Amino acid sequence: MAEARKSMIKIKPKKFKVGDTVKVDFIVIHPMDTGLQKDKKTGNIIPAHFIDNITFSLDGKAFTTMKVWETVSTNPYFSVNLKVPGAGTITVDYTDNTGEKNSKSKKLKPKG
Amino acid sequence: MERRNFIKSVCAVSAVAATITPSALFAKEAPKGENALSYDAAVAAITGGKAVADSDKVKLTVPEIAENGAVVPVKIEVDNPMEANNYVKAIHVLSTKNGNARCADVMLTPLNGKGYFATRVKLGGTQDVVALVELSNGTFIKSAKSVKVTIGGCG
Repeated sequence: MAEARKSMIKIKPKKFKVGDTVKVDFIVIHPMDTGLQKDKKTGNIIPAHFIDNITFSLDGKAFTTMKVWETVSTNPYFSVNLKVPGAGTITVDYTDNTGEKNSKSKKLKPKG
Repeated sequence: MERRNFIKSVCAVSAVAATITPSALFAKEAPKGENALSYDAAVAAITGGKAVADSDKVKLTVPEIAENGAVVPVKIEVDNPMEANNYVKAIHVLSTKNGNARCADVMLTPLNGKGYFATRVKLGGTQDVVALVELSNGTFIKSAKSVKVTIGGCG
């Protein structure tokens, strides 16, 4: 069940040079259900559904891998740094505990 | 006679239920999910029994008071160079009283340029947020800060 999720990669600051350290922010719309809450209408327990593995890579080479649990907030936000080695493509691959796999890419364009 | 016994037993049961309810509610504050791991067990699993020293190299930024425990911003900066043989290997975000103490394990590489990680976590109540940092030489350093939560966010 490859369901396309809304996600976003932001690079801060917008203008940067080769060798600068930039922030790479990744935001995804995901419920991050803990498996402990009950549906208020039906009384059934909402099953756990959360992102568990995230890989940040630049041109196919992973620079940060993460393992996360349901204790991360709904619609999670992750921010890491990257020292820009040159132009390339940042790809974020993420899987959740139901086996859903998604990825998001953004081009890295240093100026000067 | 039977009816009397029945009423008696009903009364007894409800009395027992009344005394149980507050403790049952209290137990709900730290609910146990399938991934539940206590703080001590999580630290032991990460460090493998190695000593963890408190260090001011780890800069942990959390709000003192979080109005909503469901969204607590956490920012960690590690004052350590990111060179090929001396870098920040991993940043672990833990909480002391959540049902599952682990929030995120972040494995960094020298490509990151700086030991930095930021996210938002859920906290079930007032407790400490702990940043446990592993350096490439195998030593562990940490920093902890208390967060006051007025509305819990877990379960």
